Amino acid sequence: MDFDAQLKLQAFLDGELPEGEASKVADWLARDREAAALLEELRNTRGAMAGFEAGIQLPESREFFWSKVQREIQRRETPAPKSAPTPLLARLRRFLAPASALAVILVAGAVLIRPAGPFDHAHTAGIETALADSGAFTYHDYSAGATLVWLSYPADNEVADNDEAGTIE
Amino acid sequence: MTATDHSSADDRTLVRAAQRGDMAAFEELVARHRDKIYARAYSMMRNEEEAVDLSQEAWVKGWQRLRQFQGEASFGTWMTRVVINLCLDQLRKQKRQRTESIEAMDEESGGVERQMPVVTSNPTAGLERAELRQRIDRALALLSHEHRTVLVLHEFEEMEYKEIARTMGCSIGTVMSRLFYARRKLAALLADLKKQD
Repeated sequence: MDFDAQLKLQAFLDGELPEGEASKVADWLARDREAAALLEELRNTRGAMAGFEAGIQLPESREFFWSKVQREIQRRETPAPKSAPTPLLARLRRFLAPASALAVILVAGAVLIRPAGPFDHAHTAGIETALADSGAFTYHDYSAGATLVWLSYPADNEVADNDEAGTIE
Repeated sequence: MTATDHSSADDRTLVRAAQRGDMAAFEELVARHRDKIYARAYSMMRNEEEAVDLSQEAWVKGWQRLRQFQGEASFGTWMTRVVINLCLDQLRKQKRQRTESIEAMDEESGGVERQMPVVTSNPTAGLERAELRQRIDRALALLSHEHRTVLVLHEFEEMEYKEIARTMGCSIGTVMSRLFYARRKLAALLADLKKQD
């Protein structure tokens, strides 16, 4: 018996064959004992499975199971709390920190890549840091007559300096 | 609607109340159908913990989608489809994690069952219900999840071949082949268990 014939036999058992096909299979079964035996085996297996699930019970009490379901439903229905608004200073600091770093890099880069020429001299340009306020940088370009002052205020190091002073004592 | 009303109301009335937001009505529906939903999950997953989790998830989804339930099928049938889909998703995830090769599975289902001798005597004849259930339980555990799923959907959910194919995302031919293999393998396993007695 080939595989297609076997599958046809199964479809016959499951009522999946059209009427014309089903009567042909019925005739074939009457003549072929091997086919009849296979059909019987498939039928027995199907019969053995009937009612199998009926004996399976959820291993948790009604109250406990429902409490879990209810909690999960409520959890999903509760909208997620909105995050607290970020204080203005914190938002500014978040922006200022990378901006300060970028500005320092740009100024330093401008000084370093300035082309050397006949008019170049030691005091054409330079960066100064005010000792009183280490968060302030001054850039002088003497040849262009320009001065740029960069204040990284509020300076992060203010707090650090104060703390440091405390620890030194 | 009071608790007494809930316990005496039919499913349709409870569903309508639950659709209006009555959680006590939904609790009554859970109490009525929880064993069936769990049993379906257990048949497919073969793992008690996973079956409990998936049936719980099915009830949560059931509540969330309750408005979509129009009553074309019974509430119990609708809920079993919810849990079946969750189990299939879980099995697919597990399959992706395993190294099981599809080719190996196809080989297994494409030839072995043709060679197996026919089990002539009924291996479950005369068994007590509890003993029979235990044997089927052991035999089902030895099938691959693809074969077991086809068997569960056909025998317990009473789905037709084309419906199983649609649910599992495969061809009708594959469904027929898997179902044939699953049945023949189950018959052989049950016969082996009988011999061991």
